[in-house]
Amino acid sequence: MTVMRDKVVKALVELNVRGDENGLMPGYNVLVNFLPTAFWNLFAERLILAAKPEDKKEVRDGLYRCAQECGYHTGYGIINSDEFNAVVMPMVTEGAKDILRGAFAVFTAWGWAKSGVVQIREGEKMVIRAQDYYEQDTHLKGEKMAFMVMAGSGAFFDLAYGAPYPKGLGTFIGEEIKGIELGDEFGEFIVNRT
Amino acid sequence: MSIPFDITFDENTFRHHVHGVAMVMHCHHYMSRTTKLAESMEKINGVKILRETAEDAMRELLEAYFTAQKVNTTGDRLNVGRELYSVMGLGKMEVFGNDHGGEVTLQRSHVDEGWVQIFGNSTNFVNHFTCGYLAAMFASAFGKPPRSFNVYETASMAMGAPEGKIIVKAI
Repeated sequence: MTVMRDKVVKALVELNVRGDENGLMPGYNVLVNFLPTAFWNLFAERLILAAKPEDKKEVRDGLYRCAQECGYHTGYGIINSDEFNAVVMPMVTEGAKDILRGAFAVFTAWGWAKSGVVQIREGEKMVIRAQDYYEQDTHLKGEKMAFMVMAGSGAFFDLAYGAPYPKGLGTFIGEEIKGIELGDEFGEFIVNRT
Repeated sequence: MSIPFDITFDENTFRHHVHGVAMVMHCHHYMSRTTKLAESMEKINGVKILRETAEDAMRELLEAYFTAQKVNTTGDRLNVGRELYSVMGLGKMEVFGNDHGGEVTLQRSHVDEGWVQIFGNSTNFVNHFTCGYLAAMFASAFGKPPRSFNVYETASMAMGAPEGKIIVKAI
C-alpha cells in the first residue's frame, strides 16, 4: 500500500473544523483558521496591483516567502501531528516519498489545491499537478498567482530532502510552469534545488 | 450560544464552502507572515490593504451567512458575527456597540497569539485582520457601506497586554 490521497482527504475532512471554547482551532501542531479564499487572493492581488513596476518583484518575493515559510513550518507540524499519524502513517510504505504524498493529501484536505505528486527524483526534483486550487480564482492577467502551491511544494521537498528541520528551509524552490489562472487546463509545479 | 456552521465539501474540486462562499484552512504561520509582509510594505500602504481586504472578504461571508440563517436585527448580527469569529478559529471577543461604534475586548486571539508564538512580543499593534473583520461586522449589522467605520487597537496581547482592546468609530 502507498498513500491514497482521496482516502486521506475524505478521512481528514470529516474531522471537526470549528473553534473550541476559546475560539481557537488547535490542530496539526498549529493554530488553524478557516477563512474565505477571497481574503488570501484579494490580499495578494491588491498588493501586486499597488506596487510600482520596479517594486513588483519585491512584493512577489514577499508573497512567495510567506507561503514558503508557512509551508515549511506548517508542513513540519502536519507530518508530526496526531492527525497525520492516525490517518496517513498507516499507509506509508515508501518512506520519504509517501510522507510527501501524505503531506500533499493534507494540502488537498485543507482546501489549498486538489493536487498530487506526479514525479519524484528523490532529493533532486519533483513535479506536482493540480486540477483545482483556490489561487486560480485570482484575476491578474498574465500573473502566476499560485504562491501557496509553488512555495508550499518547495517547502515540503525541503522537509523531505533538505537538512533536518529547521535548517533545511530554502534548499529547494518551487516554480509554476502551468496555471489555470493563466489559461492552462491544470496547474503544474516543478521543484528543483536552488 | 452555538451557531450552526455547515461546511459543504465539493467531491469534484475538493473545495470547502459555507453558504456558497469558498473557504480554506490555513494556520497562524501564514496569518502572522502575511501580517508581517503587510507591515513591511509601508510604501504601498500594506497594512491598509490588509485591513480593507479583511473587511471586504469577511463582509461577503457575513452577508451570506446572515441571509442564509435569517439573522436580521443589528443586535443579532453583532452577536452572530462575534460567534462566527470564534467558529473560524480567530479567537474570543466581547462586543458592545451601536451605529456610532463600539468597543471590543479580545480575550483570545489567533492573530496575536500566533504572532507571539513565532516572533515573540511585538512593539506595535498587529491585529489588522481583526480591525478589518470588525469594520465588516459593524457595517453589515447597521446596513452601512464599506469603510463606514474606523477601527483601531488600544491594547494588544501581541504587545504583552492580558487582553486586546479595539475601538470602533463610525466615520
